[in-house]
Amino acid sequence: MTEQVVVAPVLAALVAAVLGLLLRRTPRLQRGVSVLGSLAYGAGVLLLAMRVAADPDTRLVYQVSDWTAPFGISLVADPLSVLMLGLTAVVSLAALVYSLSFLDREDARLAYHPLFHFMILGVTGSFLTGDVFNLFVWFEVMLMSSYVLVVFYSGPEQTRAALFYSLLNLVGSAVMLLAIGGLYATTGTLNMADMARRLAEPAAYGIDPAPVLGISAVLLSVFALKAGIVPFQFWVPAAYRAAPAPVTAVLAGVVKKVGIYAIVRLYFMVFAAASIPVSLPGIGGDSFLAFFGPVLFVTAAASILLGGVGALGQDGMDGLLAYSSIGQIGFVVLPLAVAATAPEFRVLGVTAALVYAVNHGLAKALLFLVGGAIRAGTGTDRFADLGGLAGREPVLAGSFFVGGLALVGIPPLTGFFGKFLVFDVAGRAGSALGLAVALVGAVFTIAYVTRAWNRGFWGEAGPAVTVSTHRSSLVAVAAGLAAVVVLLGVGVDPLYTAAENAAEAALDAQGYVDAVDPTTAAEAAADAADGSNGGGHS
Amino acid sequence: MTEFVLAVALGLLFGLGTFLVLRRDVVRVVWGVAIISQAANVYLVTVGVGTTGGAGAPILGHGHGGEAAVVDPLVQALVLTAIVIGFGTTAFALVLTFRLFEEHGTIDLDDFAGSDGDGAAGDAGDDTTGAGVSADD
Repeated sequence: MTEQVVVAPVLAALVAAVLGLLLRRTPRLQRGVSVLGSLAYGAGVLLLAMRVAADPDTRLVYQVSDWTAPFGISLVADPLSVLMLGLTAVVSLAALVYSLSFLDREDARLAYHPLFHFMILGVTGSFLTGDVFNLFVWFEVMLMSSYVLVVFYSGPEQTRAALFYSLLNLVGSAVMLLAIGGLYATTGTLNMADMARRLAEPAAYGIDPAPVLGISAVLLSVFALKAGIVPFQFWVPAAYRAAPAPVTAVLAGVVKKVGIYAIVRLYFMVFAAASIPVSLPGIGGDSFLAFFGPVLFVTAAASILLGGVGALGQDGMDGLLAYSSIGQIGFVVLPLAVAATAPEFRVLGVTAALVYAVNHGLAKALLFLVGGAIRAGTGTDRFADLGGLAGREPVLAGSFFVGGLALVGIPPLTGFFGKFLVFDVAGRAGSALGLAVALVGAVFTIAYVTRAWNRGFWGEAGPAVTVSTHRSSLVAVAAGLAAVVVLLGVGVDPLYTAAENAAEAALDAQGYVDAVDPTTAAEAAADAADGSNGGGHS
Repeated sequence: MTEFVLAVALGLLFGLGTFLVLRRDVVRVVWGVAIISQAANVYLVTVGVGTTGGAGAPILGHGHGGEAAVVDPLVQALVLTAIVIGFGTTAFALVLTFRLFEEHGTIDLDDFAGSDGDGAAGDAGDDTTGAGVSADD
């Protein structure tokens, strides 16, 4: 029953990180091992993807140290996890290859590669774990390395941005720990499958759902902080501008999506089964999701509007992209909000969110890599000093064009299908407000992408552009990622199928419970009678 | 009674932590964050004590089929993990504070809050690749 292949990506990232630390004295070897590690990571994810694509009901489960499910830690690779891992593999490989030539100072490189892999390790663990406390631990692995990567250049701007980023996330971690403790106190378990089973029949296990609702709402604020959605968006622009461009690409492309993944996994699977014991004003329905729907909707709408307005007001490329990623995450959360309130469109809504998340992950990573190449070549990212880059750097400009159009949502790029699905789910669910917000957000997106294009790439060559240096390896990586965006848009069918399978898997709590913890009903009842879940089993 | 005392202690710890986080001095803010995360740990331990408070150490009840009320050992394992993580993050935050002082010459949040990030002095841009001292160890 235990599937060793599940730990393959975790091992690849861990080995690459540890070897990177050991090989600090031989930088060339360290960089080679680092790239190999990233390739091995991709191969591990590919193995998982092949298993999952062959049968969409697959849930590969690895019980750590062979401790069976409710007692030990389970790692679970289901279509949802594997889709997110696929995004991670592509973005992290591109960012890593890019950083080989982006970071040209030897001393800056030494710590970079191990940290990069530790961050990917944290992301991977978060996507795979089936245990709520283990999720906290992986979050910490991811955050700890991201703190250091944000302060990496350790200049005045970086120390300041990293201080706010890390203090905010430290408070977030404490809140997450509190919420997890509360979940354990109320449900008596930390295993996601076990928790879903217990919450489905709270009476049988003596659970009062009311405190669980409150605690899960507290937990939502932590995931919103990680995803950078309003009202927890304020750390995003400073941190994104401070970090090296390839790190920002991973932060915006992948690390943000961990928050989205956790929302889908916990709220649409684990907590979805529970029902609200009391009637709350303004909430139609008695499921937890009916409560979280309006909450998610408000945050999504506010993110879309604030991100759009913020991006329009920026006078630099990096700031524009950072605000844009606040708005785009709003587009990912919007269909989730609709799906939460309208159960009949739940699969469609989650599918839309996942397609949009993958599209944004790739497109925004691409744009940040282009932004980094511009800064490396011209020494600035301010529109006042740029202009006319299209004539001087046609390939780079083309890559930006592809990424920008993917954000706007022009067919046949993936962004079109993402946006189309968002509009589709909002329209079908009859959410006029959702449609209006998405429409305004789309107009904002067009406006700021056009502005970046006009100010940065068209027109007279700016003062910084005329003296710019050409960084062909950076341009090549950006062009490669642009090709991936185009290919995935033209052949969108596999992505759509994968996202749909992922959505169905995410919403099928029973299937997850059966795969992770095949304890029979009788044993479960005995478990409940025992009254504990820890040391009580003999 | 135990529950009441623990609840009051937790409330005080969170209150103190929040008070310190809202200070202008960065070192106090770091202390505040450390106290909040320790308060979360205390909370986790209290989860295992239960409402009666008369529970003994798990090992005392060993071999008697769990008849005697025991403290839940799982939360203590969780707290051990959380303490280690909190130790690392606090150490990092203090090192970061030191670097902040080196770069800005101040640890008063008001002095550098709007000084260089959003606009004004603007992007540190390319000079940022310098500063050989790395804050990562």
